[in-house]
Amino acid sequence: MPFNAIPAEDFLNREPELSYLKGLSKLKANALGGDVFLDGARGMGKTELLKQFYRILFWENNVVPFYYSFKTANLKGTYFAQDYFTGFVRQYISFVKKDPSLASNVAEPLQRLMPAISSLGLYWLIDCIEDFQGHVSKNDFYWQLVAAISAPVMAAQKMGKSVIVMLDDFDAAAHLYESSLGDAHGLISLFGESMRNRRCPHVITGSAGALEPVFTDHSLIGMTERMRLGPLPEDLAMALFRAHLTNLKITCAPGVQLEFLDILRGNPFYIKNLAKAAWKMQKNVIHEKDLIECYSFEVSDGETAFYWASVFSRYVKNPAQRKAMLKLLMHAIENGGIEEGKRLSLVSGLGEAETETLLGALTTSGIIRAKDTVLHDFIHCLYMTEIEGGNANDAREKIEAKYIQEREESFFEMVIPMSSNAELVVAKAVEQIGKNMNLDAEFLNYLQLALIEVCINAIEHSGSYEKKIFLKFITRPDKLEIIVENSGRPFSLESLKEVPVEEKMRLGMKRGWGYKLVHKIMDSVKVERVNDRTRVILTKNIDNGS
Amino acid sequence: MKSVQFSVASRREGDAAIIYPKGYLNNLSGENLVIECGIYIGKGITKIVVNFSETDLINSIGISMLLQIIEDLRNIKGTICCTNMSKLLRDTFEMLGLMQHMLVFPVESDALTYLKTGKL
Repeated sequence: MPFNAIPAEDFLNREPELSYLKGLSKLKANALGGDVFLDGARGMGKTELLKQFYRILFWENNVVPFYYSFKTANLKGTYFAQDYFTGFVRQYISFVKKDPSLASNVAEPLQRLMPAISSLGLYWLIDCIEDFQGHVSKNDFYWQLVAAISAPVMAAQKMGKSVIVMLDDFDAAAHLYESSLGDAHGLISLFGESMRNRRCPHVITGSAGALEPVFTDHSLIGMTERMRLGPLPEDLAMALFRAHLTNLKITCAPGVQLEFLDILRGNPFYIKNLAKAAWKMQKNVIHEKDLIECYSFEVSDGETAFYWASVFSRYVKNPAQRKAMLKLLMHAIENGGIEEGKRLSLVSGLGEAETETLLGALTTSGIIRAKDTVLHDFIHCLYMTEIEGGNANDAREKIEAKYIQEREESFFEMVIPMSSNAELVVAKAVEQIGKNMNLDAEFLNYLQLALIEVCINAIEHSGSYEKKIFLKFITRPDKLEIIVENSGRPFSLESLKEVPVEEKMRLGMKRGWGYKLVHKIMDSVKVERVNDRTRVILTKNIDNGS
Repeated sequence: MKSVQFSVASRREGDAAIIYPKGYLNNLSGENLVIECGIYIGKGITKIVVNFSETDLINSIGISMLLQIIEDLRNIKGTICCTNMSKLLRDTFEMLGLMQHMLVFPVESDALTYLKTGKL
């Protein structure tokens, strides 16, 4: 329903978008554009933007707004036509009478609205309704659809007032059917006529991946432009969260910085859900640690988890596919993406063809490419419960423990070229990092030496064309972890043969001391191969006396 | 860690040569060190003192270069003395089990006395 939008004062940072959308009818009238595809990650507020826009247009009275959501629509053509048509009629009357309740009252049949329509003098609308009902009684599938879809155009022409059509989750319209799923491809192109009309700008949302093939439909390309809806900036994200808390009568403890909110990356949907989780968990005063607790609940068992679970269920049809999808998604998270090839069917546990179909669906949905920590944590939780056999509480505790630990961490990243003396830059960096951690200067010398050895090993032996070394320093109160990655020739610790010094001297083997030193200095040395990169993980436990 | 450009200086004292590597001892600088020692060995010097007082860092390639010098001297029944080593350097050689292949003295004068008198 278009009127269940959040209060305008809590809808932050979308003024430029709203302002642009308000100018659409003029753009369209002058053939300068006028149809917009609202693009943005899930939860970024596309639907909310449409609802806010609707409310503005409704009360401004210059342009007629019409909102339709395909999210919950029945895609059987005749049901859809009926729903779309009656939805438009209700919203139109509601607009003319300035009575929002008329738009929301879906239980009232059109016949009951006839007196109101007559009293408003909208006789053309009565004709429209009668025509539509004529198509219904003749069971004319095609004309029912055409009449429904073109109702906004008809209204705009009869009244001389533009109608802005907002189609939420429009990509679902590609699945409209006559009597069984998939029996009538291309019905979505019926919207083409309406979209071309100069009095009817369209604002649509949907998965970009799914809409791309839709927009190759000749009737829909041309005047549609893409408007990207980005995340809220950090300060506004915090302001929005605080506003939600205030509405829920929750206060922030003095001095709380809400730093943990960064993880939500300015996503209004996640921000709202986290505030609601705090309310559900009966928090009256929020501390930083409460945020982690509420978040862990959200991604394991809360509304965010429910949302993503429902998205997932659109793409899988049975439990085996669901497990396979989870395995593929975990694989993608752990490997920073997904590679092509037969090996993926080993990961999914399904056949190659079925794996490919599943991957196609995940790619179209955008889920597999999403760099969304919240989604990744949800996937982790689901993986723990559905694949590893844990329960929701275990999953929640693991997520919570991860973030509590991360809060105590500092994180530095650097990239150095594989060039002469570049390893000294790393040595300098680790020296300063160590000083920040109050590490003993002598101990730092050893650390520098170990790191230099790993770097020169990469420079000398990797044969990398990229000629770069990627380093991450993760410091915790009890541990320093250094991750060194480079592309090129694989390397493993097993390939290093331990030769006694005397034997080395006797054989004239002067090289091969580097990793011996590294092992002596560090508490743990691990080497992994991740995609085309060798990853060396060095760990040094910090005893606070060192 | 100081970031001093590597250089190598040397002088003769009696029948011994004293080498002063300065800075970060890696592959390039290690080669210079080998060359410098090679010049003295070529002139018939069999006693070499390497004074590490200004060497702040050494990597495994630098170590391998030092081993080259040890081997060159061993082939002519010569002696190598290492002096003024930082704790890091000493520990590094210790870790790798290299200490038994060189004579180590706290300071240069101790090494020269030993080379002159044969006494520690």
